Amino acid sequence: MSEQHIYARWLDIGTRIAFVVLLLSFFVYVFGLIDPLVPHQDLVRLWSLPVDHYVSATGAPTGWAWLQHLHRGDYLNFLGVAVFTTITLVCYARIVPALPRLQAALAAIQIAVLLAAALL
Amino acid sequence: MEWWLWPIALFAITFAMGIVAVLAGVGGGVLFVPIVGALFPFHLDFVRAAGLLIALTSALSAAPSLLVAGLASLRLAMPLALIGSVTSIIGALVGLALPTNAVQIALGATILAIALLMWRAGRSEHPEVVRPDALGAALGMHGVYHDPALGRDVAWQVHRTPTALFAFGGIGLLAGMFGLGAGWANVPALNLLMGAPLKLAVGTSGFVLSVVDTSAAWIYLNRGAVLPMIVVPSLIGVMVGAKIGARVLRVASPRVVRRIVLLVLVVAGSRALLKGLGI
Repeated sequence: MSEQHIYARWLDIGTRIAFVVLLLSFFVYVFGLIDPLVPHQDLVRLWSLPVDHYVSATGAPTGWAWLQHLHRGDYLNFLGVAVFTTITLVCYARIVPALPRLQAALAAIQIAVLLAAALL
Repeated sequence: MEWWLWPIALFAITFAMGIVAVLAGVGGGVLFVPIVGALFPFHLDFVRAAGLLIALTSALSAAPSLLVAGLASLRLAMPLALIGSVTSIIGALVGLALPTNAVQIALGATILAIALLMWRAGRSEHPEVVRPDALGAALGMHGVYHDPALGRDVAWQVHRTPTALFAFGGIGLLAGMFGLGAGWANVPALNLLMGAPLKLAVGTSGFVLSVVDTSAAWIYLNRGAVLPMIVVPSLIGVMVGAKIGARVLRVASPRVVRRIVLLVLVVAGSRALLKGLGI
């Protein structure tokens, strides 16, 4: 199987998982099955603020701190979003061994860039 | 207005946007940011983050079938996506650091430039590439795909790779800064600048976008700019609308829809520009 087909297969599986996770978590959030960090009615008042003011006003987590808020309805949705933003990195890592040396080096640099973005 | 009306309104407008985007041959992201930014009370930071995620999820969903069919090329995309992802991170950081009115002005100017590009830029089904450049050849940017419409295999190669890398750097910067997606620029760069066949350019553009937008999306996510109440209904709306749009495409006139989209972009871009200037 070519690297292109391997990438496509992993991407397809990852995207399907991400959609299911995101839709289920949004259902839980929007119907209030789990309390959100920012109540629905307050969100309407706060979403016109710039993001840094919003974070100060709500105590919303930044960086990877959302992982500590997965018991909140709104931040549960971040699981699905994170799967979407991680799939590409996983697919690149999967195809590195199948690539010629030059392309493998490019893929390795791409992985480093994606990791840097995730950690910034 | 009750809170639950907002996600319904978002779904309705993004559903329409998804239909129109398919008919006009543009990504949902390029319509989402100017239109939702103009019509809804959300701060531009949240709208840009949602726009990026919409463009990203659409590109990720489409990529597997395009890769399998050979209509997107991994080897063509990898170097371009690498440059674009580095600059999209810079774009996202700069966009979140700039004052809102400066971003509004720049967004308005960019949307108007996109409308101009869509209006003026031509397309070439099978551009002639007499000789590939050395860098493109070294990076393995060539291949063959099967075109069912032609009923034959199409061999392709590219040229002007160094210039294209520079162009994709600029495109990534704008994509990260404004959350617009980047199909509007990727396709002309791949097709007209590098000489990739149009079908391959469209498919590969989506793949490049999926990598570039992933990098920028992390920046917005880490800054707290992702609000699920805005992102998820919009994402579902665009996706469902795009599926309906693909069916409507058989009976609609894409030329008319494209003109309507151009008009909408001019109005939305002008509004963002005026808003940024405080007029």
